[in-house]
Formats: sequence, structure tokens, C-alpha cells
Amino acid sequence: MSLANFITELDQIAAAGKSAFDRAADAAALEAARVEFLGAKSGKLKAAQKGLGAVSGPEKPAAGKRFNEVKAILEAALTAAGVRLATTTSESSESLDVTLPGRRPIIGHIHPITQTIEELKEIMGRLGFTVADGPEIEDEWHNFEALNIPASHPARDPLENFYLATASAGRNGPMLLRSQTSTVQIRVMERQPPPVRVISLGRVYRPDDADATHYPMFHQIEGLLVDRHVTMADLKSVLRLFAASFLGHDVHIRFRPSFFPFTEPSVEVDMAWETVGGKTRYVEMGGAGMVDPNVLRAVGYDPEEVSGFAFGLGVERVCARRHGIADIREFYKNDVRFLQQF
Amino acid sequence: MLVSWNWLKQYVPLTVSVEEFERRLTLAGLNHEETTQQGSDFAIDLEVTSNRPDCLGHIGIAREAAVVFNTPLALIDPQPVESSVAVSELSKVTLNCPALCYRYTARVIRGVKIQSSPPWMLDRLATIGIAAINNIVDITNYVLLECGQPLHAFDFQRLDGREIFVREARQGEKFEAINHKSYELSPGMCVIADRTRPVALGGVMGGADTEVGNATTDVLIEAAEFDPLSIRTTARKLVLHSDSSYRFERGLDPNGLDWASRRCCELILELAGGQLAAGAIDVGRTPPAREPIILRLSQLRRILGIDIDVQEVLRILTALGNKIVRTMPTNEAVEAIPPSWRRDLTREIDLVEEVARIHGYDAIPEDVSVPMSISSRTDRDRVLGKVRESLVAAGIDEAMTISVVDEGLSKAFSPWTDAPPITASTPILRGADQLRRSLVPSLLQTRRVNEAIGNLRIELFEIARIYLPQASGLPDEPLMLAIASGGDYLATKGIVEVMVERLNAAATVEAFDFEHSLLTPGRASELRLGGKRLGFVGEVAACGQKLFELRSTTTIAELQLSMLEEIAELIPRSRELSPYPSVARDLNLVVDERIRWADLLDTVQSAAGSDLERVEYRDTYRDPQRLGAAKKSQLFSVILRKTGGTLTSAEADVVRDKVVAACAAAHGAALRV
Repeated sequence: MSLANFITELDQIAAAGKSAFDRAADAAALEAARVEFLGAKSGKLKAAQKGLGAVSGPEKPAAGKRFNEVKAILEAALTAAGVRLATTTSESSESLDVTLPGRRPIIGHIHPITQTIEELKEIMGRLGFTVADGPEIEDEWHNFEALNIPASHPARDPLENFYLATASAGRNGPMLLRSQTSTVQIRVMERQPPPVRVISLGRVYRPDDADATHYPMFHQIEGLLVDRHVTMADLKSVLRLFAASFLGHDVHIRFRPSFFPFTEPSVEVDMAWETVGGKTRYVEMGGAGMVDPNVLRAVGYDPEEVSGFAFGLGVERVCARRHGIADIREFYKNDVRFLQQF
Repeated sequence: MLVSWNWLKQYVPLTVSVEEFERRLTLAGLNHEETTQQGSDFAIDLEVTSNRPDCLGHIGIAREAAVVFNTPLALIDPQPVESSVAVSELSKVTLNCPALCYRYTARVIRGVKIQSSPPWMLDRLATIGIAAINNIVDITNYVLLECGQPLHAFDFQRLDGREIFVREARQGEKFEAINHKSYELSPGMCVIADRTRPVALGGVMGGADTEVGNATTDVLIEAAEFDPLSIRTTARKLVLHSDSSYRFERGLDPNGLDWASRRCCELILELAGGQLAAGAIDVGRTPPAREPIILRLSQLRRILGIDIDVQEVLRILTALGNKIVRTMPTNEAVEAIPPSWRRDLTREIDLVEEVARIHGYDAIPEDVSVPMSISSRTDRDRVLGKVRESLVAAGIDEAMTISVVDEGLSKAFSPWTDAPPITASTPILRGADQLRRSLVPSLLQTRRVNEAIGNLRIELFEIARIYLPQASGLPDEPLMLAIASGGDYLATKGIVEVMVERLNAAATVEAFDFEHSLLTPGRASELRLGGKRLGFVGEVAACGQKLFELRSTTTIAELQLSMLEEIAELIPRSRELSPYPSVARDLNLVVDERIRWADLLDTVQSAAGSDLERVEYRDTYRDPQRLGAAKKSQLFSVILRKTGGTLTSAEADVVRDKVVAACAAAHGAALRV
């Protein structure tokens, strides 16, 4: 037998065997195919091996090499077929309706307010603002005095605040539930010299009757940057970066004059949300301004040396607008069907 | 502040549309709320911030508009014709409480004719929603809304002794206001009295008995200035708010009294006739002189980030009514005296704001480069992130509940303190006024709400602070994690164990017996980490379910987050892993019912030696027939692995036998075959 004929025969066995292994629908069929091609006694490869002796001497090494290659090809195909059949389900004999629902793991959900807070924190973190924390129960110094809210100011009215009945008046006056997170800014500045670049956030409390847009407790996020040469242009630019990052597209920032005791100048901040028919629609973001010199003095900073800006926004409003939540009371009702939407 | 468009245009010649007016004033600080058409007029609602009481009248709004549109202001100077009789011959005012009433002025007009106001006045008042009474009362309202200075007209003939005493109210003094409600007064309130009784509550409301009515012939016109804080306190205390109290609370132009009084008298003479007595009674302080303010132009750039030309600065300040005292050489500063109606302008920074808002904030760029700075996520936030990750993976939803509870809820569960809760002086929501000492009651309440809706799977956690009173200073506000689950004790404990393991693979949660009236005896524990209290886990007892009106069984847990922060290994270190296979040995030990798994585990771990990788609890099995009463069999596996080579089957058997022997010796355990 010539080498060429021998190799042709081997190649045919290889192709036929491989195809038989690949087609085997179950273990019995595969076993039959194995016996047919790789059987030790009467397999096709065993039969072909007899032809090896008929190949002339000098061509023997090449013939032997090819024989071994084909044997390896068939054994690999057999193994692969075995693996393939082993991994089909044990129910392979039963039919599977592939449109049945999968077995679903149950996964919990993070509260939408937390999600919004985390996102806002993350954006401000990129802009270099570090999270600072402070107590929810405050004294009058941190909630009012240091924030340039004198005793005669309407914001001090007992009816506008939740004063605590049982808490004894401390060194810094009676205690109350904080009405804004600016209290944390005071604590941070009292603790450390400038520069300061922090955001504070958390629960604040104001005597509002609960309705679709009010709740006596809500969350505020507030940013503060104090350093040499901080200007209102910095404030506007930081807010634009913040809004652009939050919305995912560039926006314009508009300032409207306003009044807060702890900032001067004070502004309401609007974002140019969209332009419809040549008219720009603005959406209110929150309040902001340059830190009032009295506030800087209250914490021992020199307003001639440093300047700063602060801004604050209500988390519930941002979150409700973002997700189309019509009634902010939903946030605190915790109907699991509501929570599982986010 | 509701503004009549037609009325406004009397003072400032506006050629712009209403919409443009609204837009431009909004950008100058008078935020536009809404506009409604009223016949041929518009009622424009502008929001006036609490620092700008000067804008609580049409003239104040007109002033702002004149500055914004750079047009002149057409103001009038009322000069009512006086008769030859001096007012001092007719009446007298005694001011006894200069701390409550800074200044009191009075004019008297005799022989007026009470009738309806003319249509032009009724129209304007109707536009801004003021009800018509009679010409005299309408005029006082009209002038109030024109210049912002409240006025009151007394029926002069009904004043006992025809004189006025301004004094502090006496405890328990009764007063009937023109709204025909009676009020009981107290010290700190300012009353306007005649010789025998209060005839008005100063700065708040006139009295019913001296009200101008159809029989009135003579009137005394009061224009006064009251202490803002006392007016606010009085109005709040009596729950009696008026257009007058609203303005006095915010502080008015001390120089505006006389103009308002003259304007009022001029209109009365015009619309009701009568004779005005000569002069005015004027007691109290002379308006304080305003201190000049120096504005350094360098401060504009320093605060605003832009330069504003000195001519523009001077134009703005002048237009706003500031008197320019001088401009420093080389224009580095301007000295100005603010107008009397702008009591909010006292400092340089106030003038910076004035210049900025009129110049326009749109001139401030929004694309300057802010220097970069490093910030990193706080450790607390990292721990909280991992905690939330674990809980969500366990299929639990995050809830958020209000920080206050009512007394019943507060009492139901307070494992962290025995001190009574901190209470707010007014309820915060639906009668709840106690700051919570545990999150558990709030979560159980939330569970009930969900059951009532018919939600079947209610798995909730919350991360929030609780409030623990301290002997002195501010309360302690530890951050807590609470879980309320429909699973049983072991399921909930398992969630806690996995969470702790995620924070620190080496940390072990230990459980100790814990008894609480809310929880089922024997199915609750205190959890500790390294001997320190981490928190509690337990199944809610039947009485607890009844208390919270729960239908389904519930397990609660509450943990101190500070403990989790303490043990958290935020940057886990990789350990070298043995490349050799593990060998498992299953054991089934019969022990007395009183033997606890934790003790058995201790024995197993110390007996197994250094090749023990872990012990896996499988099950507990009880069968009085086969095992005997008060016996249980503990099924578990020990997983063994060597670092230096393959652990043989024979070696594993040796370890197993050691474990069995040690458990037999320590706990009387018998291997069940």
C-alpha cells in the first residue's frame, strides 16, 4: 500500500468518526460510535492500523506519525462528545419548555433617597468635596447664632422649629432638631483652619404639615468651599459641573437674587433644563451664595483673608423630579412595591 | 405681595410687557409667582424675601422697577390743607413703652362723610384682593399697600378723653378686635389705649369699639413704628396676623411715617371731606441717622469674580437711593449712605450684593477653572456600602422612616438605654413627638402598613440614627442598622453573620441569651463581636405581634454600626492558599439537649488541630424513640486540608477520631453510627 492511499484512508476514518461522535444524541449512541471507530478489537482505526505494515520502510515514520495524529483527533472528539452529553440535564429524556420563567434569585433594593444621596456624594467627590457629618440634634449656636441668625430673626421662632422639651439648655442654649445641614459647616470650620471643601448631608426637620410636597423631615445636601480667592464665578462653575454631571449633559446655570442669613450675596440657583420653541425652561436646583462674613467670623476665620461659597438642595425634591414621584410621602411609607421600582 | 399693574404704572412709566416686567424683576430679586387678569388690570404676585420689607408696597416695587428699567420714578409729595385749629388743642398722646413702640404720630380730621370709596380705588383694592369697607378704612388700606406703612383710623369721638396712651398690656386685659373676636392680653404686648381701655393692639389690629363706621364724624389717624420682635411675638401668641403685623414684624422705613400720614389725610380730605387739624402729634424717637458704608471696588472682584466699572457702581447705588458721600481718589472705593427704607444695608458686603443683583448675575461666568483637590470616600461610607450590598444581596429592601415615634412605640423596644426618650415640644407627625431610641418599632409599623396593603414578602432594613439622652451636652446619636424580616431567628442571624464576614472574614458573631418582653423567650439573643455588644436578634412574640397588629411572624435585629466600622477590614489581605485538595469527614454526634452548638464547636476546633479548614453545621435531629428523651444529634462536617501536602484518608480518620474523643470527654457526646 502506498503512503498516499494509507493517509487517505486515515483521513476518511478521522472525518467519519469525528462526525459520528459529534452527532451522538446520547450515551448509548456515543458508545456505539466509539466501538465502531476506536474499538480495540474491530474498530475502524484498529483495522486501518494493519495497513501500516504494508507501507514501505522509508515512508513508515511519516505513516506512523499520521496514524498517531488521527488517533489523537478521534480521542479528543470522543472526549468532547462525552462532556457535551454529560452536561445536558438529567431530564434530557423529558422535554423542557424553554419559555418557562427562570428560577430567579430575590435581590433587595436600595431606597431611592439613598441612591440619590450616593449619586450626589459621588459627583461632589469627583469635584474634591469630602463628606462631613454632624448631629441632628443641635444647639442654638450651631443652628442659628453662628449662621448669622440673631435672636430677633423670624427663623428663630419656636413655631418654626422643633425645640426639644426634655433637653436641658446646654452651654449653647436650648436644643432643637436641626433645621438645615449648614450646622455641619459650622462644626467643620470650628474644627479646622481653611481651606475647607466639604459636603454635609442628612435629615433636617421643619414644622410643615405632611402633604404631596412637604414632610416635617427631609434630607438636605450642602456644599461648602472656603479658601483664598473663592468667588461667585467659582460657585457658578462648580454648580454647572455638578448639574452637568448629574444630568449627563451640559447645562447653564442661572442665579436669581434671594436671601439667606448665612450667605451674602444669596441666590436661588436654576438649571436651564431644556429649550422648547426658543424658550428656555429653568428648573430650580436650590439655594446658594457667598459665605456671610459674620459666619466666617463666628468660626474664627478672617473674612479679609478667605472667602467661600455654600449651596444646598433638598434631596427629596431632586429624587422625586428625577424618578417622577408625585407624592414625597411615598418615601417614608415604604410600600415594598414602591421600593422595588428603584 | 400682590401688585396691581395699573397702580404700579402710576409711579413708574413702564413700556415693557407684563411678562418682561415679571422676568426682569425676578432676576433682580422679586421672584414672580403668578399673574391673574382682573378686568383691565393684572394682579401680579411677587415673592418678597424677609429682608426686603421696603417692597411690601407699590412704591417699593416701583422703586425696584425704576432701577431695573433705568427709568425715573414719579413720586408724589402729599401736602394736605390744614385748618387753623392745632392738633395739640384737640388731642394728646402719651408714650409709656418706648421699647415696644418707638414712635407714635397722630393727625385728626373732623367732619368727615362716611360713604363708599370711588370706583378707581375699589378697582385697585379688588385687584389685589382687599375687601371694601368704607372710604376711611379703604383709604388706610390703600395707603398701606401704596407705601407699606400700616395706618389706623380711630373714631375720634369714641376715644375716652380724646387722648391716646401707648402702654404695655396688663396681664389678663381683655380686648375685642375689629374681627369681633376677644383676646386676652399679657405683658410684652403693646396696647393703644384711651383713658379707660385698650382701643387697639399696637401694630396688629384696631378695636371694635372705636372702629370707623357710618356714624363716625371725626377720625384720628395713627402712623406709628413698633418693635418688630414684640409684634411678631404678639401676633404668634394670639394667632392674630394682619397686613400690619406682617410688615411691622419685618421692620419698616422709620422715615416713612409722616409721608403715609399726610398721604392718608390728603385722600380723606379728597374723598370724605372734613377739616384737618394743623400739625401732627409726634412722640417717641427721632429716626436714627444712617451710618455711611465704604465699598472697596476690589471687593467686587474678590467676591463676585468680575470687575464692574465704577460708573456702573455709582449708577446702581444712586438709583437704589443710596447717597454717595464721596468717591475715593483713583476710584478704589465709594462711600455711600443707604436710604432709610433699606434697613438691610449696613455693611460693605450688602452693597456688593446690591451692585451684583442689579448689574445682573448673568455677567458672572460659569466656566472658570476651579482648582483641583483630593477627596476620598469616608470609611463610614465604605462600610455602609458593603453593609447595604450584603443586605440587598440577601433580598432585603431598604426602608426610610421618620425619626420620631409615639409613646407606645417608644416603650415597645428600647434595648440601648433605660433613660426616657428626648421629646420635642410639639409633635412632629401625627402626634409622634418622641425621638426614637431604637429603629425596630418604626420598622414593625412599616411592616404592618405593608401587610395592610396585601404585600406578602416584606423584608426591610433601615440605617439611621437613634437618640440617646446624655447627662450633659448634646445627646448621643449612634447610627443603627435594623432589620425586620419574615424569616425566622436563624435566617436573620445568618444574614447578620454573612454581613459581618463580608466586612471581616476573621470576625465571629457570638450569641448570648437575651430576654425582652417584645421577643419570644428562647428565640432571641444579644450578639457580640470580640466580647463587645453588636446588637440583638430575635423573633417577635405573640404579644409583640398583637401590639403592632402584625399578622405574620417576624424576626427583628438591631445592630450598632460603630461596631461594624470597628471590625471592618476595608482592604482585605490576600492569604496564601494550599494547592492540595481538601478532605471532608461527616460527623453525627448525639448529645444532651442542653449542650450548645457553640460549646461543641469550640471543642471540635481545638481537637481538630492545625489541618482544620472549617466546620460546617448541617442539621439537628431529634427522635425520642431512637435517641432517647432530651437528646439530640448534631450533624456537621469537618473540612480538612494540609498546606504541605495531600491529606490522606488515614490522616483524616485520625483527626475525626480525635474530635469524637474530645467531644465525648467534654460533652458526653456519642458518635451515632
